[in-house]
Amino acid sequence: MQKKSWKFGTREVVYAAIGAALYAVLSLATNWIQLPSAGNVSFRPAIVIPMFFGVVFGPIVGFIAGFLGNIISDLIAGYGFWFWWDLGNGVIGLVPGLIAVWMTTYNSFKDIVWGEVFSTIGVLVGMAIASISEMWVSGADMSTVIFANYLPAVIPDLINGLILLPILMIAYAAIVKRSGR
Amino acid sequence: MPPGFRPYFEMLVTWRYRLRNGLMEKFDPRARWIFSLAFLFAVTLFWDARFLAFFFIIAFVWYFSSRAKWKETRRGWYLIGFILFMMIVINTIITGGGAGGVVPPGGHLVWPQGGTIPLVGWQFHFGLTWERLWFAICQLLRIGAISAIFLIIPYTMDPRVYGVTFRGLGLPDRFAYSMELAFRYVPTLARDFGTTLDAQRARGYEIERVKGGIIKQIVRIAPLIVPVTMNSILTGEDVTNAMDLRCFGTRPRTWLQKLTFHWQDYALIAFSIILLVGGIIMLYAFHLGNFWVPEFWLKLAGG
Repeated sequence: MQKKSWKFGTREVVYAAIGAALYAVLSLATNWIQLPSAGNVSFRPAIVIPMFFGVVFGPIVGFIAGFLGNIISDLIAGYGFWFWWDLGNGVIGLVPGLIAVWMTTYNSFKDIVWGEVFSTIGVLVGMAIASISEMWVSGADMSTVIFANYLPAVIPDLINGLILLPILMIAYAAIVKRSGR
Repeated sequence: MPPGFRPYFEMLVTWRYRLRNGLMEKFDPRARWIFSLAFLFAVTLFWDARFLAFFFIIAFVWYFSSRAKWKETRRGWYLIGFILFMMIVINTIITGGGAGGVVPPGGHLVWPQGGTIPLVGWQFHFGLTWERLWFAICQLLRIGAISAIFLIIPYTMDPRVYGVTFRGLGLPDRFAYSMELAFRYVPTLARDFGTTLDAQRARGYEIERVKGGIIKQIVRIAPLIVPVTMNSILTGEDVTNAMDLRCFGTRPRTWLQKLTFHWQDYALIAFSIILLVGGIIMLYAFHLGNFWVPEFWLKLAGG
């Protein structure tokens, strides 16, 4: 069956929900790990989930996995509701989803490189949206937005995402091959 | 277990919500979301402390109507305290940085003569102004008010009604259902994560010893993330098939929970509209609400 980027059928409904729940659970489960030599920057390997769900199931699934997953994670942790950061996390899943239709084997060098490139763009754009919104909400200036919001969010997200995404893509390729789904 | 890990893990399946019989819970969740969002857009129109104080009072009246206790919400407040510290002390007071273009350049210096560092005798000039200090108070009022409105949501809104709430607010059926499904999946996936963790530990995986460089740490997390993710994807196929067999999406859904507006909900929505529209009129028609420093504050500066 031909893939469609913006389709939101039964399969997408289910995987968007699973992606969001996974992102929330794994974010909470790994919140205790701190980046070495970087106080207060939480290490979030789970950021790979919206990227991976985007790459595999398309932009809408990736967006919901990031957006809703971040909302649920914050709700469980008791941090409240921060729409602009949720939106930023959604974009992290949406942008890699734009290449979902061109993905073929998931474990080829080409697929992995494209996944990494679009995930990087997603992180850069998504966290920019979230950080810049702080200028409107909190009255922060650009240097604070860059050094207190943007860079501490972007650097760990990129490191985590770029290392874990190929691992998940290769594992998924094995599942697709084995189960024929 | 590393410090802090066990509490996080144990609370994975625990929502913060419980029935408190507070005034806030008497309102329909849709009306509450409308109020919260209208409040957010209204408060961000202003930098005048008089207006912000008004919003601050409304926010905390709303917050306390929830009957949530400090020991329940303190974790969230610690996070907000950290954010406020970064925003106000580091940005506005220490580095200045133009305070988001809100505070006009110049102003009255707090230490016009500068100071001398004892022992070494070095002279320093600190550019902190009384205007920036006043802006810090405005930031405190504004961020504090927004935080009070949004922090309280998870403690007072039943997770089972998020799907139907957002459907009622106009979200398409499939998106609302996806949201509903995600909330219901959380305990299942948390249990799967626990099972995977136990299975890996039985094979000698020591999460306590996730040490070393960044890359090593991330790669060592993979044995936890990969099985949980792949297992949930396989489960998802079965769920999709089951839903397709039941003709999911062929006609509009019905929901288990039914939400009905009452008079107090209409009153809250009307208040939200007044708040937002009134704010827009104040700012754009009467040019009220921009950054303002009171006279008494400038007198402190000797100006």
